[in-house]
Amino acid sequence: MSTTAVERRRGGLIDRRLAARVSATRRYLLTAVGVGLASTVCVVAQAVLLASVISAVLLHDASLGDVAPRLAGLAAAFVARASLSWAGEAAAQRTGTSVASALRRQLLRHALDLGPVWLGGERAGELSLAATRGTTALTAYFGRYLPQAVLAAIAPVGILAWVASQDWPSFLILFALAALVPVAMVYFGRESAARTRRQWRRLASLSARFLDMLRGLPTLRAFGREAHGRREVAEATDGLRRTTLSTLRVAFVSALALEFIAGIGTGLVAMVLGLRLLGGHVSLYTALAVLLVSPEVFLPLRRAAAEFHASTEGQAAADRILSVLDVEGTPPPEQPGGAGQNAPPPHFFGADPTPRAPGRHAVLRAEDVTVAFPGRGAPALKGLSLEVDRGEHVALVGPSGSGKSTTIGLFLGFVHPTVGRVVVGGDDLSTLDAAAWRRRLAWVPQRPHLLHGSIEDNLRIANPDATAAQLARAIAMAGLSHIVDGLPHGLATPVGEGGLSLSAGERQRIALARAVIRDAPVVLLDEPVAHLDAHTEAALRDTFGPWLESRTVLVAAHRPELVARLDRVVRLGTAALVDADFGHEDGSGGGVDGALGAEGRRQ
Amino acid sequence: MSDADLPSAGVVRTLLRIGAPPWRRLALAALLGVLGALATVGLLAGSGYVVDRAAFRPGLGAIAGVLAAVEVLAFLRGPLRYGERLVAHDAAFRSLARWRVWLYDRLEPLAPAGLRGWRSGDLLARVTDDVDVLQDLYLRCLLPVGVTVAAATVAVTLVAVVLPLAGAVLAASLVVALVSAPAVAVVTGTSRGREAELRGRLAAEVVDLLQAAPELLAFGREDAALAAVEATDGELTAISRRRAWATGASAAIVTVCLGAGVTAVLALGVAAVRSHDMGTAMLAVLPLAAVGAFETVPAVAVAAVRASDVVAAGRRLLELASIPVPVIDPERPAAVPEGFLDIAVRGARLRYGPELPWALDGMDLDVEQGGRVGLVGASGAGKSSLVHALLRFWPLQGGSASLGGIALDAFAQGDVRRAVALVDQEAHVFAGTIRQNVALGRPKASDAELADALSRAQLSDWVASLPDGMDTQVGEDGAQVSGGQRRRLALARALLVDAPVLVLDEPTAGLDKESGARLVANVVDDARARGTSVVLVTHRTEDLEPLDRVVVMDNGRVAREDTGLAVSEVAGSAGTAGPAQVTGSTGTAGSTGSPSRSVPEGSPAARAGGPSGRH
Repeated sequence: MSTTAVERRRGGLIDRRLAARVSATRRYLLTAVGVGLASTVCVVAQAVLLASVISAVLLHDASLGDVAPRLAGLAAAFVARASLSWAGEAAAQRTGTSVASALRRQLLRHALDLGPVWLGGERAGELSLAATRGTTALTAYFGRYLPQAVLAAIAPVGILAWVASQDWPSFLILFALAALVPVAMVYFGRESAARTRRQWRRLASLSARFLDMLRGLPTLRAFGREAHGRREVAEATDGLRRTTLSTLRVAFVSALALEFIAGIGTGLVAMVLGLRLLGGHVSLYTALAVLLVSPEVFLPLRRAAAEFHASTEGQAAADRILSVLDVEGTPPPEQPGGAGQNAPPPHFFGADPTPRAPGRHAVLRAEDVTVAFPGRGAPALKGLSLEVDRGEHVALVGPSGSGKSTTIGLFLGFVHPTVGRVVVGGDDLSTLDAAAWRRRLAWVPQRPHLLHGSIEDNLRIANPDATAAQLARAIAMAGLSHIVDGLPHGLATPVGEGGLSLSAGERQRIALARAVIRDAPVVLLDEPVAHLDAHTEAALRDTFGPWLESRTVLVAAHRPELVARLDRVVRLGTAALVDADFGHEDGSGGGVDGALGAEGRRQ
Repeated sequence: MSDADLPSAGVVRTLLRIGAPPWRRLALAALLGVLGALATVGLLAGSGYVVDRAAFRPGLGAIAGVLAAVEVLAFLRGPLRYGERLVAHDAAFRSLARWRVWLYDRLEPLAPAGLRGWRSGDLLARVTDDVDVLQDLYLRCLLPVGVTVAAATVAVTLVAVVLPLAGAVLAASLVVALVSAPAVAVVTGTSRGREAELRGRLAAEVVDLLQAAPELLAFGREDAALAAVEATDGELTAISRRRAWATGASAAIVTVCLGAGVTAVLALGVAAVRSHDMGTAMLAVLPLAAVGAFETVPAVAVAAVRASDVVAAGRRLLELASIPVPVIDPERPAAVPEGFLDIAVRGARLRYGPELPWALDGMDLDVEQGGRVGLVGASGAGKSSLVHALLRFWPLQGGSASLGGIALDAFAQGDVRRAVALVDQEAHVFAGTIRQNVALGRPKASDAELADALSRAQLSDWVASLPDGMDTQVGEDGAQVSGGQRRRLALARALLVDAPVLVLDEPTAGLDKESGARLVANVVDDARARGTSVVLVTHRTEDLEPLDRVVVMDNGRVAREDTGLAVSEVAGSAGTAGPAQVTGSTGTAGSTGSPSRSVPEGSPAARAGGPSGRH
């Protein structure tokens, strides 16, 4: 029974799902195994040549000249082994990096597919650790352990067959001991894998804690609680030391067991050969060759064990990565023929002048939608019915926590209704290709995130093909011109992660400029002026009025100052996570009703 | 010279100083390692001797002693290696913990202003990857080199005793391997600095991608962001392939040297046996001893590569440590006086770098104990910089600031921050529970005190509605709570401190305006009852109503200050607003229908509720 087979059956040591991902790199894997086998042949050749030289000189009185060709062959075998190990190293690296890169790509893609709501519940630090360090750790697993595990299953069998052809008693000793190795590996491997997984979780939690403490350093300092952060870091790192050491102890004990087996094997073979030589039952040549080869029976097994322990971090990371890849997104809508790929019909958003009966052709419609996030007490949104016709400007108002952002998220396709339907342009949003729908949207989030890069990079994410004139116009409309002009590098000025060098108000204006550059027919605004002063707000109302005029606008805000022309105001009541303190003034006890609660303000 | 410019040896010395290596454990590990390596040499050479000798059938007595020794070595080798590894790793992890805490200690005094421009993803990479690399300083650099040199010396001596020329040849092949293999690995391996830089970039790009996911998705730019990650990944892959090539080359060199050594020693042995310069029993011993002597040599080639990794990682960490600390506590800090903590700022100037414009440029401010002052002004007017200065996050480069009549820079930073509680614009919500987040303000606070702070921040009803109450998890960076709840958590935290001065930097951002105004009114009423001073930075007219006085800032100084006027009118003239806007704003304020309250600061009423009421 091969080592790999034993492990595969357990399903723990070689994860089927991981092994399946090697298919793309099977060629390199086979190269690595082939190199390993050729290298084993070299080792046997070395032993045979060395034994034959010594035997010839001692027993047959051969001269240096007589054995010179064999000495040359010995040297050649070493050179061949050197070249093979070189090729093997390169092949191993190639396998490992290809698979690690593929997994990283899949992980990030999947995290994006799962969407912002899911990401909001994950720790960015932990997930990024899995995507960087975790996938890198997998390199060792795929590049080294896997080829070595396959080799460990083949090479000892070959060497043992050769020993059997030379000397039976030695074969029996070596075979008996070699058979113990997979048993020891599986036993210790199981112990170690469980511990390493715990250790990986701790490492991930250390990393998340550290990033959290780092981000919160200003707050910690403001409260004189630097020592608390220090303690958090020290505790996490000390726990890590103890967990790692206990994991390693298992790995070391397993290495100890294997060295023991190998040592006893070599020792026993040496003793038995020595005694049988004394009795004249074996030739010096055979004895020496078998003695020299016997450690090589154990070497591939020991290496596989060492690589296994060296790659356990990668396996634990794989657990985390696979668990993310296994998280299922929204179930695909049950619709025959290209479900989820339908683009919304363009005529709903373009300048199609055909008048439509209100209601039937609403651009945005929520039908009795309830949204409940798991583990969050009351639903975030309850029984929302809402309609926004083409060209209409509608405001969502309500106290904080009443579900305004959740509603915006519904129309972005970030939030999926627990009950009810979201319909855009006449089609159920869940049947549409979300990306195609979002091409028609411009969104101003409540807390805009700035990517690491220049101001221009951050603007261009809304439209990479925007011209300099378009950028300048957007900047001017958002009232950022005087700020950008005052910067030494203008638009090329880098902004830090999280927009460290810009105030919340400036970030919000960048988000507004993004929306302008996006130039989309449907505009979703989430508290667009929450961080702006009254003066800026008034100025923005003047510049944005004409721009918004021809577009369909849904704005979430208590008082939607930015939108000059409002057709309707929809009031959301307390739904969840809301301070009852503010609930009463809205006079609604949890229900939301777009139709009844709407205040006719058509101009 | 800053630490970051140190030569390699200096970096290693500095790292050792910080890591305070447990030398005794390391010495023990080295001893065990050398004994383990010698056991291998002995096992190989001894078993060669046994077979060689036995071939001439001398009788059991002649080989029994060596045979027994071989068996003992076969048993000992495993435990020796086990002991070495365990002790060495324990030593390395102890240093690792010191390096991590050291790094935190170095970063802590830099926040918030000193760390501007650093990406948290990059910092994360430094603290996890770079610090982890440091453990190799012991495990893969110092120990393997020491063990190999010691064990090889003993093996060469052994061979030289049997056949001096063979000893010399073996020594030569070892020296060639020990010098050329590391040299090849280091020279052909690509720049470590570049790789480390790319790893940092990759981590930062991944964090960016995950944190900005909503925007990227909304704008359909997720594929571009993924492509950027992949480009970095591709560069890293190319580097690691070159590195694998170099590692393979250096391993090949070791094998070739081993082959040369073994072949040459064997040839010399054959010649010596033929000329009767050496006994026949030693012929097998020589090549096998040579094999044993080479066993740990590959580790030295690895050590050279790892050493440059360690130095690169160490240099990057020391680079962080060399960022100048903006504020240093005085050696003998003054005690913050009990009683009246009047704030007086005179002609204050502040900027974040010599090349940057002045953020404060001649700022004046007076807040007497119990005073309630609003700070308004356009973005970039210097409001937050004034807050930084008041909390001693950044020093003044000109002018003066005092608290309770004593210069601000005479106090320890911690003492200032116990007296001046801050609700920051960017107040961080930590992953953890509501309780943990609020208790940060005063860790020893009782449940009743926590509940009181939550109630004063108007969070009690929300908390009561949650299934887990105060033990509800708020998610990373408060992701599971709304913007308004975030602000109020930060407020509750600051209220729990019960400091004589409360500084609120945009406390209502993310709240709707009525809620915000009500929150501020509650806080200010609460402060009035306790005699707490309030400095409120805001852009909202509504928030200013309960304040005594409003200071309008522009270009880092006071543009206008009013006490007697309706504050909303003053706020309307913030920034560059002309008369038209003032009128407009007044109209807005009028429409909300709230008369402004102008309690003159320092009035008997305010004084009466002063610190005596608080204590």
